[in-house]
Amino acid sequence: MNYVIETNQVSKIYDGVVPVKAVDEVDLNIENGEFTAIVGPSGSGKTTLLNMVGGLDRPTSGSIKVNGQELAGMSENDMIDFRLKHIGFVFQSYNLIPVLTAKENTEFIMLMQNIDRATRNERVEKLLTEVGLEDKMNSRPSQLSGGQQQRVAVARALASKPDFVLADEPTANLDSKSTENLLDIMARLNKEEGVTFVFSTHDQRVIDRARRVVTLVDGKISSDERR
Amino acid sequence: MLIKIAWRNIWRNKIRSLVVIIALALGLWAGTFTSGFYKGMMDQRINDVIESEMSHFQVHDTNFREELLAKYYMEGAPDIIEKIESDENVLATSGRVISTAMMGSANKNGGAKLIGIDPDHEKAVTNLDTKIVDGAYFEGVKRNPILISQKMAESFKLKLRSKVILTVQDLSGEIVASSFRVVGIYKSGNGMLDEVNAYVNRDDLQSIMNLDQDQYHEIAVLINSHDLAEPTAKKVQEMYPTLEVKAWLDLATGMRYMVEAGDTFAYFIVGIILVALLFSVINTMLMAVMERTREIGMLMAVGLNRRKVFLMIMMETLFLSMIGGPLGLLIAYLFIQSTGSSGIDLGAIGETYNELGFSAVVRPQLDLQSYINISVMIFIMAMIAALFPALKALRLNPSEAIRKI
Repeated sequence: MNYVIETNQVSKIYDGVVPVKAVDEVDLNIENGEFTAIVGPSGSGKTTLLNMVGGLDRPTSGSIKVNGQELAGMSENDMIDFRLKHIGFVFQSYNLIPVLTAKENTEFIMLMQNIDRATRNERVEKLLTEVGLEDKMNSRPSQLSGGQQQRVAVARALASKPDFVLADEPTANLDSKSTENLLDIMARLNKEEGVTFVFSTHDQRVIDRARRVVTLVDGKISSDERR
Repeated sequence: MLIKIAWRNIWRNKIRSLVVIIALALGLWAGTFTSGFYKGMMDQRINDVIESEMSHFQVHDTNFREELLAKYYMEGAPDIIEKIESDENVLATSGRVISTAMMGSANKNGGAKLIGIDPDHEKAVTNLDTKIVDGAYFEGVKRNPILISQKMAESFKLKLRSKVILTVQDLSGEIVASSFRVVGIYKSGNGMLDEVNAYVNRDDLQSIMNLDQDQYHEIAVLINSHDLAEPTAKKVQEMYPTLEVKAWLDLATGMRYMVEAGDTFAYFIVGIILVALLFSVINTMLMAVMERTREIGMLMAVGLNRRKVFLMIMMETLFLSMIGGPLGLLIAYLFIQSTGSSGIDLGAIGETYNELGFSAVVRPQLDLQSYINISVMIFIMAMIAALFPALKALRLNPSEAIRKI
């Protein structure tokens, strides 16, 4: 089977006075179109695993493949280019560019990919409409609520048509209504457009909506439940 | 898009950016204006040296300038002048007879430098005739007229038509004396020269010193360009290898050093100010980068490569510098233009400058090339200032940066 993400015996040890094993020999395969939540208590290794899968961090041992491509041998610049083309990111604190509007934030990734203006405009409009922000295109992040900012972040993550979207605690800073709204959008994109989502979360509302829940405890997978 | 982000980023903290822009503008205004002030002062000095004192170059017997003795004259001086005047660049010449003298009035005796001139030729070479403050330029006194400075007139308590006794050494070394009458009083603007220089008719001085009509001590030559002074002097030197031919740069004490130093002074002052501003810009941009650690980390995470991150920070720094820098240059230009035409009267300090040969009214000026060079210096400063914050941004690890609050 072709997996969009394959981790094989992946470990991450942080050096220090006492070395900390954040991720411990994790084997995790994610198929195209999955809606997966990686859950676990704080310090269980969720974010570290996501960072390694997203090419933001390198494992101490083991291998990670994205769409069959091994990440280990890539240079830093190749990795940045790889992230740009293959991976969408949604961060806990939205992390939009404050000086750009919602439209420009979404368009930014496509500009980096040298996509032509007509295609960019069409896709930005479609994405912002899909996340319900068609009337906020020219608003800057400071003019948007937390939920709206996170929806822009989702639109930005999808702009480059990535192989999958990694979302690190995407609802941590949102109220209930915004959380539900964001989950509705992501679930719809997953169902209707087949976008693969991988979350790290300990938000029960997200866990309840996930179709696969992988639980990490002390850096190891303690359970992997498909629904 | 990167340009748009960089431009908008500098206005995220308007006050901080404005403080840096204003600091740059004021610093450059001060530096550029100081340079213009100094350049104006130097150029006036150079013009004074050429127009009032030295002309472009002078010809002497090789021993004359050192010993100032009557016997070191140039034989057949009118023929030499005729040959020099055949050069197309030569505008005018003045043959002079020179002697140190003891000048005596009813109240005082003192040293002087007597310069015997042909008044018509002299006024074609120097502007002595325009410096008369009392009396006339060799008009009104028929026998042995003398032109003295205002300073001498005050010191010796002399007035127009006052009699002075001049004692000089003649050709054979004998001490001879003759009486002269003050025909005019001048003020050259150079206090040091005014203290000693007195002008008489060349014929009169030749007669007292027993020199023939074709025996001069000095030939002063005015040409059509300051820049041609040295090459033309060199040509004349080749024609008359037994004489000494020196351009104004070497005739006026310390002039060559002063001119050369003047050229670098402008850049030295601006350079010092730019170095100080460099740290201000680095500090501001470092703060901006540190504040945006997380944002820069995010940009790198989503696919902005390091070259583009580097470019973005470089552009932000350049924008800041290239707003403040040209603004400062513009203010300096307007200030220099304005004070250059009206002049800056140094008042009481001016008198001191005047004693040293500088004008008491300074007209600042700066040529286009200096503005261009200063602009290039600003650009280089901006590039250097941009490097450190940009490198700092490059060293960020995206995953760590994103976690920063």
